Amino acid sequence: MNALLWTLLDLLLAAMLLGLGWAAVATRDLKRGVALFIAFGLLLALAWARLRAPDLALAEAAIGAGLAGALLLAALRDEPRHEKLAAAHSRAGLWTLNLLSVLLAVVVAWALLCALEMGEGLRLAGAVTDHIGQSGVSNPVTAVLLNFRAYDTLLELAVILSAVLGVLALGPARRGYGLPGPVLGGLIRWLVPLLIVTAGYLLWVGAHAPGGAFQAGATLAAAAVLLRLGGVDRAGLPAAAVSRWLLAAGLLVFLGVGLSLAGLGYGFLQYPAGLAGGLILVIESAATLSIAVALALAYVGGWSRSGSTQPDSTQGGSH
Amino acid sequence: MNNLLIWPVALPLIGSLLALVWPRRADWAGIGASVAALAVAGLVAADVMRHDSLELAIGGWTPGLGIALRADGLSAALLLMSSLVALATAIYATNYFTDAHKRADFWPLWLLLITALHALLLSGDLFNIYVTLELLGLAAVALAALGRTRAALQAAVRYLTVGLLGSLAFLTGVGLVYAAYGTLDMSTLAGQVRAEPAAWVALALMTSGLLIKSALFPMHFWLPSAHANAPAPVSAALSALVVKAAFYLVLRLWLDVFDVALGPAAAGMLGVLGAFAVIWGSWKAFRAERLKLLAAYSTVAQIGYLFVFLPVLLASAPGAARDLVFGALVLFALTHGFAKSAFFLGAGVVLQRAGHDRIAELGGTARALPVTTFGLALAGIALIGLPPSGTFLAKWQLMASAIEVGQWLWIPVIAAGSLLAGAYVFRVLGHAFGPGEGVGPALAWARQELPALLLAVVATAVLGLGAVHVWSFVVPGLAIGGIQP
Amino acid sequence: MLPAEIIFGLTGVGLFTLGLRATLLHGSLLARILAINVCGAGVFLMFVSIAYQGAAAMPVPDPVPHALVLTGIVVAVSATALALALGRRLRESADE
Repeated sequence: MNALLWTLLDLLLAAMLLGLGWAAVATRDLKRGVALFIAFGLLLALAWARLRAPDLALAEAAIGAGLAGALLLAALRDEPRHEKLAAAHSRAGLWTLNLLSVLLAVVVAWALLCALEMGEGLRLAGAVTDHIGQSGVSNPVTAVLLNFRAYDTLLELAVILSAVLGVLALGPARRGYGLPGPVLGGLIRWLVPLLIVTAGYLLWVGAHAPGGAFQAGATLAAAAVLLRLGGVDRAGLPAAAVSRWLLAAGLLVFLGVGLSLAGLGYGFLQYPAGLAGGLILVIESAATLSIAVALALAYVGGWSRSGSTQPDSTQGGSH
Repeated sequence: MNNLLIWPVALPLIGSLLALVWPRRADWAGIGASVAALAVAGLVAADVMRHDSLELAIGGWTPGLGIALRADGLSAALLLMSSLVALATAIYATNYFTDAHKRADFWPLWLLLITALHALLLSGDLFNIYVTLELLGLAAVALAALGRTRAALQAAVRYLTVGLLGSLAFLTGVGLVYAAYGTLDMSTLAGQVRAEPAAWVALALMTSGLLIKSALFPMHFWLPSAHANAPAPVSAALSALVVKAAFYLVLRLWLDVFDVALGPAAAGMLGVLGAFAVIWGSWKAFRAERLKLLAAYSTVAQIGYLFVFLPVLLASAPGAARDLVFGALVLFALTHGFAKSAFFLGAGVVLQRAGHDRIAELGGTARALPVTTFGLALAGIALIGLPPSGTFLAKWQLMASAIEVGQWLWIPVIAAGSLLAGAYVFRVLGHAFGPGEGVGPALAWARQELPALLLAVVATAVLGLGAVHVWSFVVPGLAIGGIQP
Repeated sequence: MLPAEIIFGLTGVGLFTLGLRATLLHGSLLARILAINVCGAGVFLMFVSIAYQGAAAMPVPDPVPHALVLTGIVVAVSATALALALGRRLRESADE
């Protein structure tokens, strides 16, 4: 009976995901599309929780729905409300596309079912369980991200950096918002410190419970988003020269640790026994700052208009 | 523990970070990191020659649980080519960007691009390859948009969306692989893959993603505008290196990992698309009105040749016959890398000096820019496939092997493509040597003209005359005497 | 009963294809970005479903796909930021 209930709930969640996903991309009203997409992201966070992936639920809420949503909402200001569908859609073309989509879905679904049948469900989980004792942390997801597959995470920081450098190379920030009303202003004064404390907690707790650098960095960036919404154009970001260092900090520390270990006769990113936990915390702290600054800069959309855009200038007064 | 393999990735990344925090010293960070990366690429190549293949299990974890970096003849040859082209292009770039802001924007992104390329070439893990593909894609898009012209921005937007779809298709394939075989490590996987639905669909998804990224006909539509509207050093890297990285992955997947899951029909299909690309790309290059657009369409054609190699390669008997084709394929890829980067850099010099790159108005260029024109001519020889370029030997071997395995179909394609290439190269040279005002005073721009010329010389002379060494480097056991068919 | 990994795995496939279809169909950049993100969410859902297989018998589901998806989410938001900035600049260049 219990199993039947779970299945029904699963089917309901799945149907809602498909429905919201469909609605978000099918609407011609972009504002509606963005709102539906944010709702879709929150529902996805629920699905992660259901599938026992709490780290992802946190990340999805903070990054997938939260920050991506904030970015999309900000972009809506520049976009016309109604979009035009691409020109070349004859009835025949549309049906061909629909047919091909269904065909693709069937083939991939078939392959996925075959693949699930082949896998015994254990895959690498066993190896992670066997070695987690030597990883320096007890949250298995953090162990994979910062130890077993730390090299992925290193390159991922480079991905964030390249995206934000691309944004910065495109020109100065968009104009900020006006001063907020008293309610929003009060809320912001109250929320920003709370977000900063939460970020610190998420960073610390990531070693043994859901959390970590990405969730913490996104939470810090959320504080910056709130500040900007509250009329602080630079969103609490430091001067350009300092921001550049903060952007680089995560990768500098990560690479520095990895290469120093190589220099000391260990392998690249091979943490010595007993030091793993500490080194991971150091790397994650620097990564949190870099991620927060990168996401905040991406939200602001460039170096601030008010300050100089000189590559090596230290910026003038804040707001 | 030998950590050599991390350095080709770490050095450009360090350079990128230094260029980011010291924008005024960015030139030095760029050149320094490029020289250092070339040096370690040389060390990797030397080690590969001694040991055939190298592996670094990062973090000391068994590959599977952890990620392994690997190098063999193929990856080391491409690594060496990529770091050489990157260094020459970096030297060129020091004189290209006059605006201090552009320069400060260019270097960190450029070095991230090189980081991504090297990481991709050395990676032995499927998901890690996805991350390198995304890094490569985002850095490439950001660089392609640097000019900030409307055309460049439009091209960059399309480049980005198409690239993201390609990455997602690849990632879906990776998911299926993990579900079916429980590992992401490519050499572990090679022993487990069988001819079964999960493997077929996974390979099809990953390959489609890579075909989009390598711009194989008819998925080439995004390439010409993106490559033609980027700043010259960026165009050079996009056309010579980035597209080839995706092809390299196709090669890895088809030859090393999924070879048992493949029938001959699959490779034949890619070959046919490649043949269309050769004809269509060469034709569009011949019809192009601008020098950079010509170069971009020529890339579409040259990528086509690489895919024409595949069916011949897979039909050749394993052993000496297949090694010969494989060596020719690598030689072709290397030669095109050098020739196309040389061509784009030369086109950039012309564009900057004349203020335009309309082919019909190039008259007098030969007199005003003799070094650049000579470089363009040399690069053109390699693009056509005339002796003594590496392409000549590679095409010769391809035709000989095609006859040997009974795939006559490719011969007229290669011949027609080469004729068209001859037509488009000589059209450019005809105008350049024609009468005209020229493109301004004959001032020596050594830092821009020489890198282009050197790259062209490598493509035409060094790789052609030293082809035997390429063969023996890429396929270690090959008897050298067998190169001439 | 239908196992959760099958239900959500197939949902992932559905989202992947409907996102892909919408990306090819839409003309405006913002709509395409939404579609690509939905497409990506579908792929992530496939990964997490794979991780969930057999989770009933284990203390935790397979953490490796979870880590991969976390990486994927961050990559997706980075790409979204770059795409939106390109779109904004493109609009400005049209206005100039």
